Amino acid sequence: MANIQFKGIHKSFGSNKIISDFNLKGKEDEFLVLVGPSGCGKSTLLRMIAGLEKIDNGEIFINDQKINELHPSKRQTAMVFQSYALYPHMSVFENMSFGLKIEKRPKEEIASKVKEAAKILKIEELLDRRPKELSGGQRQRVAIGRAITRNPKIFLFDEPLSNLDAALRAEMRVEISKLHNQIKTNMIYVTHDQVEAMTLADRIVILNNGNIEQVGTPDEIYNNPSNIFVAQFIGTPKMNILEISEENMISENILKLFGLEIKFNNIKFEKTKHYIGIRPEHLKFNQKSDFTFNPEIELIENLGNEKIIYLKKDKDQLNAKISSNTEISNKIGFNLQDLLIFDKNKIRIKL
Amino acid sequence: MKTKNLILFTLISTFFLIFIVSIWKILATLQGLNIQNFNLQIIFIFGVLISFANLRIGNKIKGFYKSILFSLIFVICDGYLIQKLPLWYNIGIFLILYFFVNKINKYSFVNLREQHSTQIIFFEFLTLFGILFFSFVILFPFYMMLITSFKTQIALLVNPLDFSINFGQDLTSLFKSYFVIFESYNFGRYILTSTIVSVGTVIITLIFAIPAAYAIARLNFFGKTFMSTSILIIYMFPAIVLVIPLYTIFSQLGLRNSIEGLLIVYTATTLPVAIYMLQGYFKSIPKELEEAAILDKLSWFGIITKIIIPLSIPAISSVALYVFMIAWNEFLFSLMFLDNPNSFTLSRAIQYLSGDAETPRQYLMAGSVIVTLPVLFIFVYFEKYLVSGLTAGSVKG
Repeated sequence: MANIQFKGIHKSFGSNKIISDFNLKGKEDEFLVLVGPSGCGKSTLLRMIAGLEKIDNGEIFINDQKINELHPSKRQTAMVFQSYALYPHMSVFENMSFGLKIEKRPKEEIASKVKEAAKILKIEELLDRRPKELSGGQRQRVAIGRAITRNPKIFLFDEPLSNLDAALRAEMRVEISKLHNQIKTNMIYVTHDQVEAMTLADRIVILNNGNIEQVGTPDEIYNNPSNIFVAQFIGTPKMNILEISEENMISENILKLFGLEIKFNNIKFEKTKHYIGIRPEHLKFNQKSDFTFNPEIELIENLGNEKIIYLKKDKDQLNAKISSNTEISNKIGFNLQDLLIFDKNKIRIKL
Repeated sequence: MKTKNLILFTLISTFFLIFIVSIWKILATLQGLNIQNFNLQIIFIFGVLISFANLRIGNKIKGFYKSILFSLIFVICDGYLIQKLPLWYNIGIFLILYFFVNKINKYSFVNLREQHSTQIIFFEFLTLFGILFFSFVILFPFYMMLITSFKTQIALLVNPLDFSINFGQDLTSLFKSYFVIFESYNFGRYILTSTIVSVGTVIITLIFAIPAAYAIARLNFFGKTFMSTSILIIYMFPAIVLVIPLYTIFSQLGLRNSIEGLLIVYTATTLPVAIYMLQGYFKSIPKELEEAAILDKLSWFGIITKIIIPLSIPAISSVALYVFMIAWNEFLFSLMFLDNPNSFTLSRAIQYLSGDAETPRQYLMAGSVIVTLPVLFIFVYFEKYLVSGLTAGSVKG
């Protein structure tokens, strides 16, 4: 039960500005995922919450208490590192109980807390082992267990799954999701993997160059991206963005795409460059569509359950994603409601 | 290609055989055997024959029997028929041949057909040459030291070039020199002084070096780069340059002839390398471990004692070993600063004894053996700690 609030956070390393004016208000018991390309400042933000990095400017509040000057150990946060950071010379039990031992808690309390955490994570039989005798997934569980025993108000995850292989990553993703349902505590999770972000988050914060691009639930982010960066960041393959030059803007509500005149309702275009976005999964073959065009098919990637089709129409490259039992023809269609319009500054124009 | 490889292989292995047999013959001569000539032609012919026969027979006979067979043939021809030498010499030759045949066993016509096999054969035998030659050069003085310490004054005077040990005498007389140096030359006291000085230097050096190395590895402070790069500058000054000014200073401070004085000098000379070695290792410890420790409410002191030191045991023990050896073997400073026999270290004591023409040589050598042994044993014991890899498993790797 905690909420976190950021007010005007600034951070730079030397002359390199990492985060500028970051403002965000968290909700209680929320699973917040910070996602963005590498170097966008998401890990730095997490380390500032933990107290491992100094805050240049601005304030962070946990439950309305300012934590800027608090020692890292007093912030009631627990961090799970990307590299696990388990103490190699201690057993799993010692690793998990180390913080409590430093606090000089009674032995019975330590034992019961470690046992409880081990039970949640199903690592009870590993307690006597050393980290080097564990597999990657088990190490990650121990690292999470160490965080649980600290009984924090906020869990901080710094790309915890990026060292695991794909199958294990999917498994641990589910585990972390279950863990959140089970212990109902605030979690802040940093990742560059959009799948983790979409599947785990209550709310996603999309960062780019230290700025928030959009905050919202996974559904909002997917269906209503507020700009081209967000639209292309979420979804694989990424959204097709087509540039509509000034002369193709025919009137206030009609534009020309692939030679088709498309008419929108409730909109007034300026006579400048615009962008149209359409997700690969919304391009369809041989179905009743509002509009159709004939692109060149350059390559087909068969993924088994679906196919990725690389298309070319005039100068534009497009991807389409179709289920693999669909018959491929050279006629592609799309619907009006699936088109997203962005203005010349790449900001979304909402219909 | 095959013929060229075959000839090269035969030549190289034959020369190798000649080399090891010659070493054995030299050692045998030192043991008092009267060998008129080395019979190199015969060894050469046998070497070529054995190498070739080995390839020819290949896997038709089991390797073990093949080795025994060749060795026996060689021993009977060379040692028994031609030279008629005693049994222990022939056993030695037999073992050498057994080793040699085992070595060439893995070569066959098949792998001689490969193009690069000449290079492999060449480098393999070169490595063996190197190992044998240098261990001979290094071990021979040790051997000299050891046998001299087991001799009596008379035996030394009668035949100074006799390199054998007379095992016929009983143990007390064999180890007589060792008893004498403890009883009449006070070696027990020197050993104690040397031990106190060496162990003390190790402890003091580590107490200073660990925090200093941690600071250089992890913390940011003014002049850090200058500090870390100039640590080794002290080694640009030869010790002889420092020893005279230090002598005057120590005389005025009354530190001459004292263990404290030696501790100060030894710590000062070993500290830079200790810091340099440790900081390199500390830098290799993942930073996340310390960050995790900070979140676990550990202080800086706690991080060093509970995280850094346990993880650096390999590095710390190798530094300790290095410092111990420097302090134990150090001679120049102890020569300058100690002139009262009551505060002598071992190396200074041996120098003192050898300056005295009355001291019999076997006692000196017994003393030298005593100086050498502890370092040898400590090295063998600590060696297992020197193997790194203790950090395995903490982070992905």
